[in-house]
Amino acid sequence: MSTHTEHQAHSGPEPLDVNDPRLSRFDIVQEGARRDDIEIVHYEAQVVPGSKAERRLTRTVAMMFLLTGVLATAFLAIYIWWPWQWEAGRGGDKLYTPLLGLTLGLALLGIGFGILTWGKKLLPKEVSIQDRHDQPSSPDDRKITGETMRYLADELGVKRRPLLGISVLAGLAPVGAVAAAPLIGGLIEQPHKNNQMFTTGFQPAEGGKKIRLIREDGRPIRPADVSVGGQLTVFPGIEGGVSNKHADSPTLLIHLREDDAQKSRAANERKGHGDYMWGNYVAFSKICTHAGCPASLYEQQTNRLLCPCHQSQFLITDNAKPIFGPANRPLPQLPIEVDEEGFFVAKSDYTETIGPDFWERP
Amino acid sequence: MKRRKFDRAALPAKTAGAVDDRFQVATPLRKLLNKVFPDHWSFLLGEIALFSFVVLLLTGVFLTFFYEPAMTEVTYDGSYAPLRGTPMSAAYASSLDISFDVRGGLIMRQMHHWAALLFMAAIVVHMLRVFFTGAFRKPRETNWIIGSLLFWVGFLAGFTGYSLPDDGLSGTGLRIASGIILSIPVIGSWVSSSIFGGEFPGTIIISRFFIAHVLLIPGLLVALISVHLGLVFKQKHTQWPGPGRTNENVVGERMFPRYALKQGGFFMVVFGVIALMGGLFQINPIWYFGPYEAWVVSAASQPDWYVMFLDGSTRLMPGWEISIPIGDGYVIPPLFWPTVVLPGILVGLSTMYPFLEARRLKDYRHHNLLQRPRDVPARTAVGAMAVAFYIVLTLSGGNDVIADKFHISLNAMTWAGRIGLLVVPPLAYYVTYRICLGLQQHDREVLAHGVETGIIKRLPDGRFVEVHQPLTSADGHDGHAPALDYVGWVVPKKMNRLGALGPAIRGFFYPIEKPAEAPVSPGHPPVEPRPEREEISSGESRR
Amino acid sequence: MTSDNDRRRGLLARLRGRPVARSRGRRRLGAAVRLAAALMLAGGAYTVLAPGAQAQDNPPLSAAGNEGKALFDVSCVTCHGRNAQGVEGRGPSLIGVGSASVEFQVGSGRMPMARQEAQAMRKPPVFTDEQVRQLGQYIQELGGGPQVPSGNLREGANMSTGGELFRINCSQCHAFGGGGGALSSGKYAPSLKPASDRQIYAAMLSGPQNMPVFGDNQITPQEKADIIAYIQETLKHDQDQGGFNLGRYGPSTEGLAIFLVGIVALVFASLWIAGKS
Repeated sequence: MSTHTEHQAHSGPEPLDVNDPRLSRFDIVQEGARRDDIEIVHYEAQVVPGSKAERRLTRTVAMMFLLTGVLATAFLAIYIWWPWQWEAGRGGDKLYTPLLGLTLGLALLGIGFGILTWGKKLLPKEVSIQDRHDQPSSPDDRKITGETMRYLADELGVKRRPLLGISVLAGLAPVGAVAAAPLIGGLIEQPHKNNQMFTTGFQPAEGGKKIRLIREDGRPIRPADVSVGGQLTVFPGIEGGVSNKHADSPTLLIHLREDDAQKSRAANERKGHGDYMWGNYVAFSKICTHAGCPASLYEQQTNRLLCPCHQSQFLITDNAKPIFGPANRPLPQLPIEVDEEGFFVAKSDYTETIGPDFWERP
Repeated sequence: MKRRKFDRAALPAKTAGAVDDRFQVATPLRKLLNKVFPDHWSFLLGEIALFSFVVLLLTGVFLTFFYEPAMTEVTYDGSYAPLRGTPMSAAYASSLDISFDVRGGLIMRQMHHWAALLFMAAIVVHMLRVFFTGAFRKPRETNWIIGSLLFWVGFLAGFTGYSLPDDGLSGTGLRIASGIILSIPVIGSWVSSSIFGGEFPGTIIISRFFIAHVLLIPGLLVALISVHLGLVFKQKHTQWPGPGRTNENVVGERMFPRYALKQGGFFMVVFGVIALMGGLFQINPIWYFGPYEAWVVSAASQPDWYVMFLDGSTRLMPGWEISIPIGDGYVIPPLFWPTVVLPGILVGLSTMYPFLEARRLKDYRHHNLLQRPRDVPARTAVGAMAVAFYIVLTLSGGNDVIADKFHISLNAMTWAGRIGLLVVPPLAYYVTYRICLGLQQHDREVLAHGVETGIIKRLPDGRFVEVHQPLTSADGHDGHAPALDYVGWVVPKKMNRLGALGPAIRGFFYPIEKPAEAPVSPGHPPVEPRPEREEISSGESRR
Repeated sequence: MTSDNDRRRGLLARLRGRPVARSRGRRRLGAAVRLAAALMLAGGAYTVLAPGAQAQDNPPLSAAGNEGKALFDVSCVTCHGRNAQGVEGRGPSLIGVGSASVEFQVGSGRMPMARQEAQAMRKPPVFTDEQVRQLGQYIQELGGGPQVPSGNLREGANMSTGGELFRINCSQCHAFGGGGGALSSGKYAPSLKPASDRQIYAAMLSGPQNMPVFGDNQITPQEKADIIAYIQETLKHDQDQGGFNLGRYGPSTEGLAIFLVGIVALVFASLWIAGKS
């Protein structure tokens, strides 16, 4: 069946007898298509059977499949025998994953292009036209279906028996609520339990004992630990202070230079935070007031603090006021002092809310 | 009694007969095998998304065998030495194990992540194809809406999956997500504490994201994808106009034999490309991000590309806060607008677009023929405007990387983004509109006068003219080549393209039926060929 | 608003392609602006580290110190003045910055600066290691200051402590992968790729430009060794298990790759599949 073109045999409205022994298999296929309103208007072999071109294409396709076999075998061999585990000093093998990817990927591409070449080059080209039939249903059918539905409503007679309608609504609405209740009721959490959104780990313990500032390894901090122009991430010295349990408590302790410290102190005074600094040391919340990332890119010359998530910039010497970017609220300042043993403590908890803004923040 | 010989050749027919006896499948199967699909490269873009979804399911199932969705604190003791002894969540430790202690685990993880990026990228590219060719018009509005929903559900799938390793980078993303939820007026803090089970980060969020990521969201995706494909099947694919193609037919190949083979082959190609990328390109190397700790962050913290536009809008938003001085005072933080309101508007606009356009053009007919983008300048320009908007936001989402690597000031990048967001989209609209009109004009000229041959002739009166090759033979009443009607399909512009575009049916140049709709730009008068060129071509065609 | 003006001016100047000084000093006018800016530009941490070192009688210098002084008087004196006391509007005093600072700034080619700009860039160094040592010796003998110890700076390092310290103290600016990142208004944290052990050590000690100072009280020499080992061995050597690392820029290059590689390859494939054969 090399060429069956044009509009042959579109004539008879009566279907072909598919049991006619004279029909070829293609005739039957074409008849089947016609019964689905498809006209195969063009069907043409791309390669002459037995020709050079056919043999070449056959070889190409076969080669792709064979190559796939080789690559898949290589994948298995690498997967099993290649040393792959990470070892201290040597590291992992940098070639393991790339080799797996290369062999697997090329093997799959081999199958893919093999099939595609087969289908695209060796199978006959065809153009078929199918009718769409996307007209709406017949007006009669529409009418019948519509009436059937109305008939149902009539028979139920809700209009005549309104009590039924009311009772169904009143009865089923609570059932719907019952379905939703466990989900919502189980999930819902009171956000202001223990006043948690407004307090941090620096809140003085029972009895007013002030909380120490500690490092990530738990050691308390002496003033001499932070060099001039240096910064240190500090945590509340309580249980779980250095963990995500107190994700709102990480604080940046900065040792300012003398002239910057003066500016900072003056700015503190203006805001009524006169005693928040200790010496030339300031402590600001590390949690950005914009979206909660740790704003910790401290530029010791310009005294800007940059948040790497959305580029808000805060001026440390001006009460950490936002001077650029999407943040609108200064970073809260932690009032600090040094206790009798010479370690930094928080005088009190933060006096402003930590972290991203929310509706009921006063 | 002699035992009947087992006839192997008759077995398939017998089995098939037995199946049909019970399930009556021959007739529906005939219809299925015979279904005609139009063939164009742009119709394969959606398949990329479908196939990467299949790869996502396959690799994802593998990952669940080794991943532990718990935030219990453990001390890492795996083979990756630089993290040994570090306290971390079980989720992060098991993700490290997948990368270092499960044989072939790393390539699976990387293939899963690349497939996710490809899934979203293919959705966007497919969506652009559908938009710019008008494939969303009646009767396909429902499928357009489902497609837009697929983008957003895929977005959620991506975000929840990105958060599961609980590493330093994804934890930062999660922290921002909690900030976004907090910013919702009135209910923000309630929603946030309900999702996180208390104050951020709590101890339950990873388990909740896990069940959402492996059950709820994939279930929704499977359902939506099934309906999406079912509707394509039911409503039949759109096709480009052209010879033989009308609003009432589909011209192409039957599902069997060729179309199905091509699809199967293409699936393997998509799978192969994902495997190659998964092996050759490192993605999301969680081992140097460390476990999530609320005080640790990295420069260049970015989400995956499909979330980057929201990150960009957040970066560009000025710090405008609305204070409501009632009682203790209430606030609407600046974070609310770019991360909650903007996506809300985008969802609304994108899903409603088919109806908005139909209403504007008062066009409520069925459309099964696609439009070339140039023929609908207004829609194409609106689309270009949306793309420009999206690109400015996405670039702004990575503006710190751009600033750093190209030595531009970070602050200048932010301002460039703010100004660009206002200036670039209208500019894109105007430029696209003009380009569309220009291309239309050119098409009409070629149809009226023929293809420019590049041969310059001097006329007896001394003028130079270019010889045009008309597209039809000179059989008009006065020897003029009759001007052809534009049918909404490619017009040959060069001599060597004559006939190369090829009519779908040999021996035909005109369509069997004229297309039901004249593809002129709605809302814009059709472009007429410039009359002054008339003389030149007619002069040439006379000889 | 001053900060607004500041930003706008910076933007304009950048558009005109002129190197621009940005610092909090800009908010003042006239000479004060220029002074503060210049101080910052040249890495003015030094002034702070030199409390009241202006008036001093020159003690006798060692041989290496004398060599260093000779080099200084040829190459550095223009900006940093005689006896490294600084020149107003050009360069800060170097009294008390120590040899660590010299080793970092000169050894990495940042000094001498080609021109005054937002931040001194790493360049091929002008001086040999020996000359850097002599310059350092000279500065050290002038006013003292932090010094990088000799010997192996990764002795007995603990990689996992180093990683933890790196993530707390370094990654916010230099990024998880050590590739560096942007800071405000054109400043940046450089990539750690070309940095040697001694340079990393010196940078932590001296806090060059806008980098905070990490003195020995805050990060002990042993912890510094841990950090250096983590950077040099883990970040630079045995890290990229998953193939080509795409420059370690994180999701932004991954997003670029999926379009430039994945989508482009598959669109070409579909062009071929649907193309006329």
